[in-house]
Amino acid sequence: MLSDEEGDEPAASDDGGVDEFPEIDAGSDSDDPEEEYDEGEGEKESEDEEEVDEEEEEESGSDDDIHPFPRPKTVISDITKQPKRVYPEIEPDYDSDSSTEDDPNRIGNVPLHWYDDMPHIGYDMNGKKIFRPARGDELDKFLETVEDPKSWMSAFDKSLQMDKPLTAEELDIIRRLQAGEVPDASYDPYEPTVEWFTSKQEQMPLSAAPEPKRRWVPSKWEKKKVMKIVRAIRQGRIVPSKPKSTQPQFYSIWNEPADSQHPAPLPAPKPPLPTNAESYNPPEEYLPTEEERKEWEAQDKEDRERNFLPQKYSALRLVPAYDQFIQERFSRQLDLYLAPRVQRAKLQLDPDSLVPKLPSPSSLRPFPSYRALSFAHANGRARCVSVSPDGAWAVSGDEGGVVSLWEVLVGREVKRWTFGAKVGSVEWCPRTDVNFFVVGVEDHLHFVVPPNLPPSVFAATQSLLAPATLPPAPATPSPVKWVSSSTSSLDEPILTIHLPTLSGLPGQLTWHRRGDYLASVSNREGQGSVWIHQLSRRHSQAPFKKVKGSIQMVLFHPTRPDFFVATQRYVRVYNLAEQKLLKTLMPGIKWISSMDVHPSGEHLIVGGYDRKLCWFDLELSDKPYKNLRYHTKAIRSLHFHPTYPLFASSSDDGTIQVFHARVYNDLMTDPLIVPLKILRGHDIKDGLGVLQVRWCRGQPWLVSAGADGKVAVWCS
Amino acid sequence: MGRLRQKGKAGAAKAYMTRSQAIKKLQCSLADFRRLCILKGIFPREPKNKKRANKGSSAPTTFYYAKDIAYIAHEPVLKKLREHKAFAKRLSRALGRGEWSSAKSLEENKPVYRLDHIIKERYPTFIDAVRDIDDALCMIFLFASLPSTSRVPPSLIENCARLAAEWQLYIMHTRSLRKVFFSIKGVYYQAEVMDQTVTWLVPYQFTQNIPPDVDVRVMLTFLELYQTLLGFVFFKLYTDVGLVYPPPLDMKKDEGAAGLGAFSLQDANRATLQLSIKEVDVNGKTISSRDVRQTIKSIAASGSAPTDDDALVNATVDTDADVADEDFVPHPSKSDNKDAQVLPTLNALATLPRPTSADLFAPYTFWISRETSRGIFEFLVRSFGGRIGWPASSGSGSPFEEDDESITHVIIDRPVVDRPEETPEQRERRMRRKYIQPQWIADCINAGKILLEEPYGQGKPLPPHLSPFADHADAYNPTTVSRSEDAEMAEADSDEESEANDLGDDTAEPEADKPEAPVAKVTLEDVADPAVLRAAELAAEAAGLDYGTFEKDITKLQKRAKNKANAGATEGQEEGDMNKMLMSNKQRKLYEKMKYGQRKRAAEREKLEERKRTLDKAKKRKEKT
Repeated sequence: MLSDEEGDEPAASDDGGVDEFPEIDAGSDSDDPEEEYDEGEGEKESEDEEEVDEEEEEESGSDDDIHPFPRPKTVISDITKQPKRVYPEIEPDYDSDSSTEDDPNRIGNVPLHWYDDMPHIGYDMNGKKIFRPARGDELDKFLETVEDPKSWMSAFDKSLQMDKPLTAEELDIIRRLQAGEVPDASYDPYEPTVEWFTSKQEQMPLSAAPEPKRRWVPSKWEKKKVMKIVRAIRQGRIVPSKPKSTQPQFYSIWNEPADSQHPAPLPAPKPPLPTNAESYNPPEEYLPTEEERKEWEAQDKEDRERNFLPQKYSALRLVPAYDQFIQERFSRQLDLYLAPRVQRAKLQLDPDSLVPKLPSPSSLRPFPSYRALSFAHANGRARCVSVSPDGAWAVSGDEGGVVSLWEVLVGREVKRWTFGAKVGSVEWCPRTDVNFFVVGVEDHLHFVVPPNLPPSVFAATQSLLAPATLPPAPATPSPVKWVSSSTSSLDEPILTIHLPTLSGLPGQLTWHRRGDYLASVSNREGQGSVWIHQLSRRHSQAPFKKVKGSIQMVLFHPTRPDFFVATQRYVRVYNLAEQKLLKTLMPGIKWISSMDVHPSGEHLIVGGYDRKLCWFDLELSDKPYKNLRYHTKAIRSLHFHPTYPLFASSSDDGTIQVFHARVYNDLMTDPLIVPLKILRGHDIKDGLGVLQVRWCRGQPWLVSAGADGKVAVWCS
Repeated sequence: MGRLRQKGKAGAAKAYMTRSQAIKKLQCSLADFRRLCILKGIFPREPKNKKRANKGSSAPTTFYYAKDIAYIAHEPVLKKLREHKAFAKRLSRALGRGEWSSAKSLEENKPVYRLDHIIKERYPTFIDAVRDIDDALCMIFLFASLPSTSRVPPSLIENCARLAAEWQLYIMHTRSLRKVFFSIKGVYYQAEVMDQTVTWLVPYQFTQNIPPDVDVRVMLTFLELYQTLLGFVFFKLYTDVGLVYPPPLDMKKDEGAAGLGAFSLQDANRATLQLSIKEVDVNGKTISSRDVRQTIKSIAASGSAPTDDDALVNATVDTDADVADEDFVPHPSKSDNKDAQVLPTLNALATLPRPTSADLFAPYTFWISRETSRGIFEFLVRSFGGRIGWPASSGSGSPFEEDDESITHVIIDRPVVDRPEETPEQRERRMRRKYIQPQWIADCINAGKILLEEPYGQGKPLPPHLSPFADHADAYNPTTVSRSEDAEMAEADSDEESEANDLGDDTAEPEADKPEAPVAKVTLEDVADPAVLRAAELAAEAAGLDYGTFEKDITKLQKRAKNKANAGATEGQEEGDMNKMLMSNKQRKLYEKMKYGQRKRAAEREKLEERKRTLDKAKKRKEKT
C-alpha cells in the first residue's frame, strides 16, 4: 500500500511544513500512519523538536535508501530446490513498532485501585517498586493551585498518581476543541483542489496502455443478436408493424353449430316484472298509509319486501329520477356473479292434496262426540276412573282419598269410600262372576265390593276375597301381606294387600284378562315397584329382580302370556311363562307416560310426555309404524276400546282425541287410523288436563277424569 | 379387504372449492378471479353439506365447483390477464426509467383479450343469447345516460348510446315492441324478438351519478361482456332482417341531436348484391345461378337483351319482389283438399297478418310538445307505425313542422292555459287536433287498441296506469274488483229488501200457499244449475205465478244454499285439520309453507280490496254531499 502512495501522494506526510514539491521520503512515510493512530503520550517532545528531527531524517533518508521495504534475497530452497525470496528478520525497534511509550509504571492496563492498600503503585522497567508519591490533603491541593501559576496546565496522571504538566501540543488540542476547530493541527480543510481528470487535454496520457481493440472493432455478439432479429423478420416471424386485427369486431358467431361438449349453462333467473304498485300513477289503494311508510323506512334495506314505496304523480313530467337505479342494477349484478344459485323444482301442486284423504268421520260412527254428563269430585283432582265390566257403573278416585261409585247412565253417586291417602289408581276386576274393584292408595291395595250386588255374585266375591280357608302360605315369606277383613260391611275394603312399606303410591293397576292376576306399579323406583298378585293363591311376587330404568307402566298381553313393561325410554316385552325377554320396542319418546295394547294383541300404542304417540305393529318391527304428534301438551292416558275400533288419548292440553283405528287381519294392509273427534270440556288446572280416559265396554262411550276434579261421560 | 378410503379424497370435499383455494389454484389476483367469474358466468354453489365440503369447518365460505375452476384454468382470457400483468410491470418500469420509445412500443403491443369464444360458450345458440339480453340492455341503456367520468370514459358511453340506438332501431323496424310501462323507476319496455320476450328498463332522462357505494369495476366488467354480447346479437338480428350492421351514423345529424334519426338503416341486399356484381366484373366467372335466373327474368320482363352489366345491376336491384317469387310457394295438392287447407305450413304461418296492434298508430300523426321526453315517445310511436314530429328544442331532424296539417294528436303534459291572443287560424288548428297526455300512448299500446282520448285529455286527472305484466294468478286486480264490488253492493241492497219482504211474506203466507208449488220443485242442490232454474221458471209461468214472486223465492233459496255451503265448508275444514295429524313431518312443513304463502297473498289482496272499498265509500260520500 505504501508503494502506491509513493508516486501519487506526496502531501500525505504529516510533517508540519507542507512542501511545494512532493518529495519521496521513506522514513517519514513508514511511521506516519502509526503516529496518526498513536495517543498523544507517545509524542511528548515539543513540536519544534519534532520538526528538527524530521528535517534531519529527511536529509539523511533522501540519499541513502529509496526502498521502503527491505530487499529480499533470492536463495535456493533446500527442500524444493527452487529459488525463493527470503526477507530479512524484522527487528523490533522504534521503526518497526509503535511501542515508543515510556510509561515508567509497567504494571500494564490493570485498575490502579488494586494498589490502593500498597505503599507502591507499580513497578518500573527494572522491577523496582514505584512508591506512591506523597500527596497533600485538599487544602494543599488548593494552595498549590494558588501558588503555582502553571497548575492549570497540568493534569492528573493516573498511572503515576500525580499531576503532570501538559505538553504544548496537548494544550493546543484542548484549545482547538474549545474553539470548535479541527483538533488535528496538521489537517488543512482548505487544501487547494487538484484536478486530476479535467476537460483540459493533457499532453501525456495518465495510462500508457494502448487503446483496446474492443473500442473500435464492431461487437460480434451484437451482430449475432441483430442477425437473429433480421432473420426472424425475413422469415416473417416478427412483423415490424403488425396490423391491428384482421377479424371484424362482430361477425356471425352463431353460423357454425356449437361444439356440444358442454351443456349450455343455465340462464340466470330473470328479475320479477313490475306490478301495479310500481306505476307512476297507481290506483290509490296501492299508496302506503303513514304507518306503512314509517314501518318501511324503519326496516333494513335487506328486510324490505319491496325496494320502493308506491307513489302517485299526477303527470309524467313530474316523475323524478329514481335515486336507487344504479344501486339496483349493481345489486342485480352482484346477484348474478356472487349469489349461489340452486336449481329447485317448483312444486305445482295444491297444498290441500298433501293432506291425506281419509274417510269422513261421519261415516265411521258411532264415536263419542258430546259430553253426556259430568260428575264432580269436591276435593282435588280426579286421578283415576274405571268402568265395570258390564258398563253400567263407574268408579273414580281423587287425590283427596275419595273413591266414588256412580252410575254411568245418570251420573248419580251411589256410594263413597274415603281412604286416608290419595288414590293413585282404581281398576275394576274384569270377571263377571264376581264383582269388585281394586283401589291403590299409598302402600296398599284395597279390594272393595260395590253395593247392590245379586246375592250369588256377592257370595262368590266374598268367597274369593275372604275365603273361609286360606290357601297354604308360600314357603318363602313374602314382604307383601294379604289381609282379609272379617266384617261384612261394604264400607270397609274386603281385602287389603299391604305392599312393602315405602313402595309408594301404586300409580297403575292392570288386570290379566281372566281376572286372576293383578299387576301393580308403584311410583317409587327400584326393584319393588312392580308386583304381580294372584288372587286364587293370595300370593304376590315381584317379576323383576333388577330393573333397567324406572318402570312407568305394565300391561298383560290379551291373548298370550306376555307382559309389556314400559320404562322411561323403552317398552320391553317379556314372556312370563318362559321368563325371558322377547323384544325391546324403541318408540323414540323421551319419557313414556302411557301405553295400551290393542284387543287383538298385535298392536300397541305408546304415548309420551313429549306429546308423541307411537303406533307399533308388533309383528312388523320394533320401531313405530306411525308417529303422531297432535296434542299440544303431554299425553296422559291412552285406551283402546275393547270391542269398537276406537281409541282415545287424553292430554294436559285439556282435550281428548278420539281415533278410529281399524286393524286388518290381512298382514299386507296397514292399519287405518282416522282422527274422529277432539273432545273439549275439561279445564286445565295447575298445568294438568285430562288424567285418565276409559271406554265403556259394549258402548262407544268414554269416561274421563280430569285435573279439574270432574269426571265426564262422553256419548255418541 | 377393500381399498382404504381416505378422508377428503372423494365426494363433496373434492367437488367443491373455496374461493381462496380457487384463487390459489389459478394463481391470479382476486380482482382477476372476479373478472373471470363475471365473464365466464361462473357463480358460487351451495353444497348440501358445508362441513363435508370444507374439511369439517362450518365457517361461512363461498364455494365453487372444482370443475368450474378447472374450466377457467384453461381460459385464454386468464392467459391474457397474466400477460397484462407482465405488461403493466414492464410499462411502469419503462415509464419510471423514462424510456419513452420502449413504453410506446409496449403500449402498442398491449395484450388485449377478445370475448367471442366466451359468448359462443355461454350462448351456444342464438335463442339462448336473445333470452339473456335483458340485463345487458338495462345496463347499456343506463350507461348511455350516464355522464362520463375518470372511471367511465366517454368512448364507452358513446358505444353504449350507439348500441341502445341500434336496438331501438331494430325494434322499430321489426315492430316487435309489445308492452310499455311507466314506473317510478323508469320505463319498462317489453318486446318479442325471435319468440322470446325481452324486457328492459330505461331510466328517465336525468343525469345520474355513480354513487360511491357501487363498485364501478364490477359494473364495467359486466358492461364489457354485455357490449360484446349485444354486438353479436345485433349483428345477427340485423343481418337476419336484411340490414347492414352496424348501421351507418351520420355525424352531422348526430351533432344536431337527431337521436335515432342519425342512424340510417341500409338494406343489406342492395349492398351485398352490388358487391357481388362487382366481383363478377372482376372475375368474369363466379356468377351465381340466382343471378343468372334473375337476369333471364329481367330480360324476359324488359323484352330486350341487356347490353351491359349496368342494366343487370339495375334489374337485380329493382326486382326485389321477383326474388320472393322464386321462393318455394306451397300449393295445396288437388287430391285431398281439406287436409292441405287445415295443415298450417311454415310459410303460411310467416305470412299470417300481424296482430293489428303492431300498426296501432299507423293512421295517426303525432306531435310532441317540448316538455315530454322525445326519446320515449319517438320510440313508442314509431314502433307502432305512427309518424311523429317534435319541436326544434327537442332536437333536429323532425320530419314535419308544428303547423303541419296532418298532425292528429299532440302529446302534451302541461296544464291547460288560456290563450287570449290566439289567431283564429291557430284556434281552428287546435280544435282539430286531439291533445292527449303521454299516458294515453302507453295505455293504448298495452290495451292493443286505440282508447278514447277523452279521459286522457290535457290537464285532466288521469285514470290509473296499470302494469301490463301479469302478476301471480290470485293477486289483487284493480279492474275486476271494481265490477265484483258493484255486484256485491247490489246484492247487499237486495238482501235488505228481501229480508223486509220476508217479514211481509210471513203475514201473507196463507194466501200465497198454492203458487209455491213450482218453486218447491227446485231443491237446494239445484239452485246453481241454470237449466233446472229455467225449467222451474217455465213451470211457474205455466202455473200463473208472476215473475217477481218467483224470483224472490229463487233468491231466498240461493241464499239458503249459500249458507249451507258455507257451513259445509267449515265442517270440511275441520276434518282437513284433523287429517293433518296424520301427515309426515316433511309433508306438514311443506304444506305449512305453501299455506303460509297463500295466506300472505290472500292477506295482501284482502288489504288492497279493503282499502279500495273504503276509498270508494269516501268518494261516494263526497259525491253525495
